Amino acid sequence: METKQETPQRAYKNLLARYKAFSNRIPLLGWLCGGIGAVLIEYFLGDLVSYYLGLPKVPVLFGCLIMLKKPILIPGAVGYLLLVYGLPVFFIARALATPANKLAAFLAKGPITIAALVHLGLLYAILHIWTDMSDYRVLVLKLTMIAVMLTLSLNVINGYMGEFSCSHPGFMAIGAYTTSTITLWLFANDKLFGEALLPAAIGPFFFPLALIAGGLVAALGALVIAIPSFRTRGDYLAIISLAFLFIVKSIIENLEFVGGPRGMSSQPNYSNLPMVFIVMVLCIWIINNFVRSTLGKALCAVRDNELAAESMTVNTRKTKMVTFMFGAFWAGVAGGLFAHVLRYVNPGSFGIQRLAEILAMLYFGGLNSVTGSIVGAVSINLLSEALRPLEIFKWIIIPLLLILVMLYRPTGLIAFTEFKPKELMRSKE
Amino acid sequence: MDLFLQNIVNALQWGSFYALIALGYSMVYSILMLFNFAHGDIFMVGAYIGFGIATALLGFAAMIGLPLPGWLILILTILFSMFFTSFVGMLIERIGYRPLREAPRASAAITGLMIGIILETGNLALLGARRLSFPALIESATYQFGGIFVTNKKILIVLVSLSLMYVLHLFIQKSKWGMAMRAMSFDFQAVPLMGVSINKIAPLTFAIGSALAAAAGILYGLAYPVLDPYMGVLLGWKAFVAAILGGRGSILGAALAGFLLGFIEIFVAWIFPSTLRDIIAYSIILLILTFRPHGFFGQAHSTQLRL
Amino acid sequence: MKRLLMVIVLGLIGAMVFSTNVWSLGRKTVIKIGINAPITGDIPKVGEGTKYAAQMWLADINKAGGIEVGGKKYPVELVIEDNEAKAESAVKANTKMITDDEVLFIVGPQSSKQAVPAGDVANNYETPMITPWSTNPDSTKDRPYVFRGCFLDPFQGPVLANFITEEFKFTKAAVLYDVASDYPKGLAEFFKQAWEKIHGAGSVVAFESFTTKDADFSSQLSKITKSGAQVLFTPQYYNEVALIVQQAHELGWKNPIVGSDSWGSAETVTLCGKDCYGQFFSTHYAAAGAKGETKAFIDRYQKEHGYVPDDVAALTWDSLRLVQKAIESSGKITGKIKKDRKAVRDALAKIKNFKGITGDMTFTEEGDPIKCAVIVRISDKGEYEFYKSVCPN
Repeated sequence: METKQETPQRAYKNLLARYKAFSNRIPLLGWLCGGIGAVLIEYFLGDLVSYYLGLPKVPVLFGCLIMLKKPILIPGAVGYLLLVYGLPVFFIARALATPANKLAAFLAKGPITIAALVHLGLLYAILHIWTDMSDYRVLVLKLTMIAVMLTLSLNVINGYMGEFSCSHPGFMAIGAYTTSTITLWLFANDKLFGEALLPAAIGPFFFPLALIAGGLVAALGALVIAIPSFRTRGDYLAIISLAFLFIVKSIIENLEFVGGPRGMSSQPNYSNLPMVFIVMVLCIWIINNFVRSTLGKALCAVRDNELAAESMTVNTRKTKMVTFMFGAFWAGVAGGLFAHVLRYVNPGSFGIQRLAEILAMLYFGGLNSVTGSIVGAVSINLLSEALRPLEIFKWIIIPLLLILVMLYRPTGLIAFTEFKPKELMRSKE
Repeated sequence: MDLFLQNIVNALQWGSFYALIALGYSMVYSILMLFNFAHGDIFMVGAYIGFGIATALLGFAAMIGLPLPGWLILILTILFSMFFTSFVGMLIERIGYRPLREAPRASAAITGLMIGIILETGNLALLGARRLSFPALIESATYQFGGIFVTNKKILIVLVSLSLMYVLHLFIQKSKWGMAMRAMSFDFQAVPLMGVSINKIAPLTFAIGSALAAAAGILYGLAYPVLDPYMGVLLGWKAFVAAILGGRGSILGAALAGFLLGFIEIFVAWIFPSTLRDIIAYSIILLILTFRPHGFFGQAHSTQLRL
Repeated sequence: MKRLLMVIVLGLIGAMVFSTNVWSLGRKTVIKIGINAPITGDIPKVGEGTKYAAQMWLADINKAGGIEVGGKKYPVELVIEDNEAKAESAVKANTKMITDDEVLFIVGPQSSKQAVPAGDVANNYETPMITPWSTNPDSTKDRPYVFRGCFLDPFQGPVLANFITEEFKFTKAAVLYDVASDYPKGLAEFFKQAWEKIHGAGSVVAFESFTTKDADFSSQLSKITKSGAQVLFTPQYYNEVALIVQQAHELGWKNPIVGSDSWGSAETVTLCGKDCYGQFFSTHYAAAGAKGETKAFIDRYQKEHGYVPDDVAALTWDSLRLVQKAIESSGKITGKIKKDRKAVRDALAKIKNFKGITGDMTFTEEGDPIKCAVIVRISDKGEYEFYKSVCPN
């Protein structure tokens, strides 16, 4: 006789299967709609809900800070997460699955740009409403997006090219200082450069140009490393780039007109959320196209076997130099944004510690993978914000986590995968 | 002229630390082809273990009312600390490096970096943020030769580090284990086929490197008696530069490059305004690497690295 | 079975959400004071002094049942953030306290290296901040929301130059400072100016620098020793002081070494030992021989924490008392944080003749008090002996 006894495992498997059946039908568009619903609920009702749950205020970072600070509030915070984020996202996404699928199918027929723009517009709307609640969220989000750019650009060098570069903070510093110098000199009244030369009103429109300038100067700096390092294959890039990092830091410390070791402050507030978002999207898009281009394929060939690539008419030295400068360019742009987010830079921010941070994000997420870099940067960044209440123990937990990831997945969480936007946005019906 | 000679003395002392730490990097790098980014922090751990042992010995001597001479305590401290720190090194090899032997090399480097951060933070969490003052085990004495001032500590530091390097050299050149290490650095794949287990050579390499770092830590404590959890970070990275500058597979090269780095730093600070020290010192290194891309004594290695 | 599981889960969630202990925490207006201190990093003793002084102050407030504003008592909470003695971390900590914790007032950061950039953040967000220990003029310059609790370097530099000239009748001085840190760099320059004003150009015979985290100063000190200088001035923090003084002696330096208020930590002598005995430095107050309220504070601190409080602790204490007074006289706490911050800032700027344990305070337009400096000698027992007091004219 057959009994239909349900063991806990089977119940769990059942639940998982049902969840899969349930979520398999929902396209990305549906999830984004759910997200908008959730942030709208938080926007209008968050205060009320948090009050009735006994929370001192709306949890800023998904309740992590509150939970770690006052464990007694954990049930309240969990309840809040469920009521405001979990359930609404689920139900709205489910309810809108059919129209969302139709829309996705319709968009798939048109050019991919339009589909991407619709998705990105929705994503931006979510972020915008979510960050409208507190300045702290804005700051964390902006820094996270900058971290995504940094990680991705380092992935081009350390992942796709297969070298070990230590100079990323240096490129970031070059970009940050170039951009800050331009904006402070042209658009701000400050201690270092005196009166503004141009009216401040055109500053925000000029800012992208300043960012590009920062990136270009960083790429030029990369040339200093690229010329001696890529004559031979080996680990010399590691120390040449490390020496470069020390040199950049020391040069900035000695340049009195950019404030020397004391740094520059009072950059105009140009790195607002849309700006950072747009630049990050551009960065992801361009880098993703770069690594899937012929040059990107050549790069992988060089990484896997330099001699073979050479005999297949790949100019290895040129390929490497172009790639290295390309990575440095984006690090410089990210540095420019960074300077205008914190509105303060000093040479001390671009040292060994920053290097360790970027490396951690890169290897956590995974080499040779755009998705991996995004995942790595977002998770390490949010984690280090969320674990803040643990103070110094944060710096035991995060490294431990990273070691575990390395031991069980030596190439990182999501390595060697291609990022295919089309696949992501397709209709699920 | 006085100043020149004085700075040679200064640079010998400063270079000794770079050389001792660079040796540890170089050994792991030559034999296992790995960057051990935790090495700077092993140096820190060695200094702290030395501090603990020295304090305990001083306390013990005071307790039994036996005035142990300072030099005896120093020798015991160095030996014990080298012994214990070598276990730290082996532990790191076991946890962070052995499981990753087949993985991309960079992964192991990241694990090392993270172990280093854990060592720093763990120290901070355990002992608190306060600085420790390394006990002055030997009475400081200053000798004057013309216009040059030399302390007994300086002589001691240079002598101890030179003799440690000589012992290491003998070990590598004459002993059976040393021969296995040299073979391994020559061909990584073939040696295990000859019956020498890499699971023995690798811990041994880490242990020797860590012991040298511990000795450096204690000597450092004598010369600069303020210990803090982050003392190994910058020193470690700079020694890493020296290790690779010396060339792969060359113990002598690493030691020489360590001293060279010390000399460059001290002399640049003397000749140029001291603020320009890092720019000029590292530009010199950049130039050296541009013209001698394999370092001083490195052999040209095969193009296919295990990256 | 499935239904049972569902019921249990829902029940658990319900119980968690509506559990009574959660309910009891209602929403009250709490006055939050942010403390931005170097708990870890290069100068942890400074952070410790700040934290202890703040906790003593909080204990007093709690005993009194909160701060009374407009006839109503409000509970007080401290938000202590670590700035790791780094400029960028201080900026981050300030931003976090202002935007996330919504503090009413920030006390700290202590050293100018952090206070100069962090003051910019506070001013941009219109949050009042008082830095107890930062002596660099840039911390408060053109920043209406930033105040300080001590004298300035343009005053301290000449005080030291005059003191050395009068006391030792020296004419040639050498300076060794950290070029990467605001405070030593600024003070070294002010000292050089003042010294050359007295003794003529070129009388500072060696003006040498290093960068933060350096441990070996032998090259710079050899140069100084051979330069013919009669006195070495080094405005460094206590961890570097120990190394500089010891290495100078090892390189044959026999003349006096003079320091600034950054020497005044409780740990300077512990780390430096006998080499520092007999040296002079300028500071904000002298613990030995204090009277009245100052003595009461010192005794209480010593009883609770086992050592004589250094100037950082005393200045933090004064700053917190100033903040308390400003909040009390701000009239009303509305709970609207931006409005309250402005009201408290205005109240603080109006305070006249505040009686602090480190001297009387009235703020100038820039938010700087006018205070006296004390010259202290490190005695042969390692104590800080009052030597002389210098007041601005």
